[in-house]
Amino acid sequence: MSATEPGADAGGKQRILGRVRAALSGRSTVDHPGPFESWRPPDTTVQIAVDRFAAMLEAAGGEIVRLPDEAAARDWLWGFSKDFTSAALGETLPEPLRPALPIAAADVAPLGISRARGAIAETGSLLLDARDGRRAQLLPPTHVVFVHAADVHVTFRDAVISMKGDLPSALGLHSGPSKSADIGHIMVKGVHGPGRLIAVVIEASSP
Amino acid sequence: MSATRPGPLRSRASVAFFATCLGDQFFADACADAVRLLRHVGVDVHVPEGQTCCGQPAFNAGRRREAERMARHTVDVFGNAEYVVLPSGSCAGMIRCFYPELTHDSDDGAAAALAERTYELSQFIVDVLGIERLGTGLDGKSVAYHHSCHALRELGVRDAPLTLLRGCGAEVLPWIAAEECCGFGGLFSAKLPEVSAGMADRKLDTLPRADFVTSSDAGCLLQLSGRSSRRRDGGPPFVHLASALWQGVRGVAGRVEASATGASR
Amino acid sequence: MSGGTTPGRYRAEAARTLAERPSVRTAVTSATDHSNVNRGRAYATIDSERWRDWARDTKTHLLTHLDRYLEQAEASLLRNGVRVHWAETAADALTALSGIVREHELKRAIKGKSMLTEELGVNAHLEGLGVHVREADLGEYIVQMLGEPPTHIVGPAIHKSLADCQRLFHERFGTALDADPDTLARAARAVLREEFLSADLGISGANFLAADTGTIALIENEGNIRLSTSLPRIHVAFVGIEKLVPRLEDVAGFVQLTTRASTGQPIGNYVSLIQGPRRVGEIDGPDEVHVIFVDNGRTRLLADEAAWEALRCVRCGACLNICPVYRQTGGHAYGWTYGGPIGAILAPALLGLEESMPLPFASTLCGACADVCPVRIPIPDLLLHWRERAVEAGLSSTSEAVGLSAFTKAAEHPALFGAAGTLLRWLPWRAGGRALPILGGWLQERSAPEPSAKSFRQLWKDGIE
Repeated sequence: MSATEPGADAGGKQRILGRVRAALSGRSTVDHPGPFESWRPPDTTVQIAVDRFAAMLEAAGGEIVRLPDEAAARDWLWGFSKDFTSAALGETLPEPLRPALPIAAADVAPLGISRARGAIAETGSLLLDARDGRRAQLLPPTHVVFVHAADVHVTFRDAVISMKGDLPSALGLHSGPSKSADIGHIMVKGVHGPGRLIAVVIEASSP
Repeated sequence: MSATRPGPLRSRASVAFFATCLGDQFFADACADAVRLLRHVGVDVHVPEGQTCCGQPAFNAGRRREAERMARHTVDVFGNAEYVVLPSGSCAGMIRCFYPELTHDSDDGAAAALAERTYELSQFIVDVLGIERLGTGLDGKSVAYHHSCHALRELGVRDAPLTLLRGCGAEVLPWIAAEECCGFGGLFSAKLPEVSAGMADRKLDTLPRADFVTSSDAGCLLQLSGRSSRRRDGGPPFVHLASALWQGVRGVAGRVEASATGASR
Repeated sequence: MSGGTTPGRYRAEAARTLAERPSVRTAVTSATDHSNVNRGRAYATIDSERWRDWARDTKTHLLTHLDRYLEQAEASLLRNGVRVHWAETAADALTALSGIVREHELKRAIKGKSMLTEELGVNAHLEGLGVHVREADLGEYIVQMLGEPPTHIVGPAIHKSLADCQRLFHERFGTALDADPDTLARAARAVLREEFLSADLGISGANFLAADTGTIALIENEGNIRLSTSLPRIHVAFVGIEKLVPRLEDVAGFVQLTTRASTGQPIGNYVSLIQGPRRVGEIDGPDEVHVIFVDNGRTRLLADEAAWEALRCVRCGACLNICPVYRQTGGHAYGWTYGGPIGAILAPALLGLEESMPLPFASTLCGACADVCPVRIPIPDLLLHWRERAVEAGLSSTSEAVGLSAFTKAAEHPALFGAAGTLLRWLPWRAGGRALPILGGWLQERSAPEPSAKSFRQLWKDGIE
């Protein structure tokens, strides 16, 4: 990525940095305390990670489907998508996981189907990459996301370290259906993202 | 909770009792009960003349110089005491937590030394003397306990008063707002009276049906009883912890006597 | 200023809210009760003491090396193709925004919740430029329709009951007066959907900005931030200079701790990690991303040896939720963007000491806030510090100064103190009632306390059996 020139207000930058340095002169410093370690069970097998991911996502109102391989996932999708008139699809969805439905723009499709880059067990989050297409991840009211079990990271920190060298323009951690309690402190779903989130975990690795 | 003795005590500990400015004028009987209680548990009590105010109201109002002067005076009055005991969590907290830092510029370490020997009444009885059962005088009584913020968060006193009350046979009732601030805050109560009253209302509106309400802090009791009286709640009496515990020792039959309720006249 | 009032009017506004709008206290107390229970539960499922130590130390490390990290952050952002602006004052920030609006001829803005944009007055400024501005967060949308500022850092409309919302939506959208929350939400969703799709400018704040990767991290539950930073062709993020964290790994820790402290969730429903504008090969995303770094008094706070720890704040709102003073009135009475404990310790530096009065005194120093702060800001210590500075600057009341001075003199002379006490007990001061300075405030709301028949001093002299 080529560097663009710094903001035209370089004077402002130098004045701010100057004031920061002046403020800190004579102040004793503190070292970075190091890594932040949170949930990590003694055995972190894929099975345990997926179990934890499923439990966290379900606790937040999401749904989980666990299937042995891509063929089973294709069959499941075929049955599931029968109730929908069209779908908006992620750019990185493999051919077998594209439904036999008319493709529609994300802002009119009732169903969005994405392929997640991975997931996080600790927080119950799906990792949605901008390269898959953001609109299909956000606009349709029902969102189906395919993820491979081998791509489930144990912790958020693990996921960051794994992805750091290859970050897209935006990464979204989606950890449940959209929700709000702003109306009289009562929980409602689907304002503004998908009100229904279904994570389909494929146990076997893709070919 | 634990009755840990910090080490073998001489047979009779010597306590300098600091009544506090509010205690002296508004809770004199409770202070007398505190003296009786301390003697009852085997302590020699003396009351150094010259004691006035610990300086907390000035300190909390941002008036450090005035607070420091009162602290210096207090350190001089209590300097040689083996233990200093107060019937107030906030005043004990002021001395224990803030005196060392407050006087360190002009000090020879006397304030820090005093701070280490200063305790709130229930804290002293449970944590220093290791006593948890005083008597059966509160058998069959239910009590709501208000935790004063400074006792709770500065001194770290949460369990000692409850242990002693239960040790006298009282049932301590659950109170959802027990650890919330009552709204006294020293001058706050007079400078922001509407919000202060709202905070007292929150406490009073959630008060369980108890035989009496008690606390280690005079300011809190004046705030809650004063507001309760203005509201004409007709609720339970407000009793200083020292008096409640003395009742626990003596077991006076019938209703627990109130020491100061701020009843409207 | 916030909602047409200022900190200087705190007492009057608080009193008015309590007397004339008691439903505010009820709604705020109820909402914060839930938040406190949830936060307590969320803290209990982790080693919260260790997490909070880590967060305090990481932010302190960041702040004590802030110049280095700001430079690293800018380099990362530029490398990602983000345009970077530096704003010393609110005016500078708005000027930078104007430049972007004019350059791209922007007409319609959609905003995620950002307290910094409230602090800077972004909405009014955009409207002045002829840009249509819509708040997309449901709570912000509600207060925007009501023409009010947000009452809380995280829950802008917690002071509104369901009935309030039903009435509002009935007036605006024609929904039934007894419509359930789902129906109201659907109405809002439909209207805001159009706004997302037609906006050309998306505005956000930043919860955190990782210096090493230049990542802007944003936390939410609704999805409006994901949408408003993805659909419009220009995204502008306002970032307070204290919002940096050293590394993207640190973001992982801060996000989880902040949402636990804020709403009790292990993580916000949506977390956006934004590196920059859409890349070659991506089918959507903004054409340009701008970061406006904002000082606006933060370096002044950083320079304050005693008060700079307030800059660790992650804007979780936990201190507001637990504050017994805040819970009486909600945020509007404070007269500034930030109310509650954090508002009181930021205002003297960001607004000015005199302008912030009496906020540092709008507290009993109960300490509940320090118990819950995820980054361990010693809030009561900082409140005390600002009180001392206010006294030094001559900003507290004369009658209080005179009274405390006299009290102190007496306290150093025990005989005098005793005599004064006796006098106070017997003088018919209660008859003076509310007219009395200080004591009048007590009598306004409470019965006068009964002095003891004899002072303890006297009882001791008489002999205690």
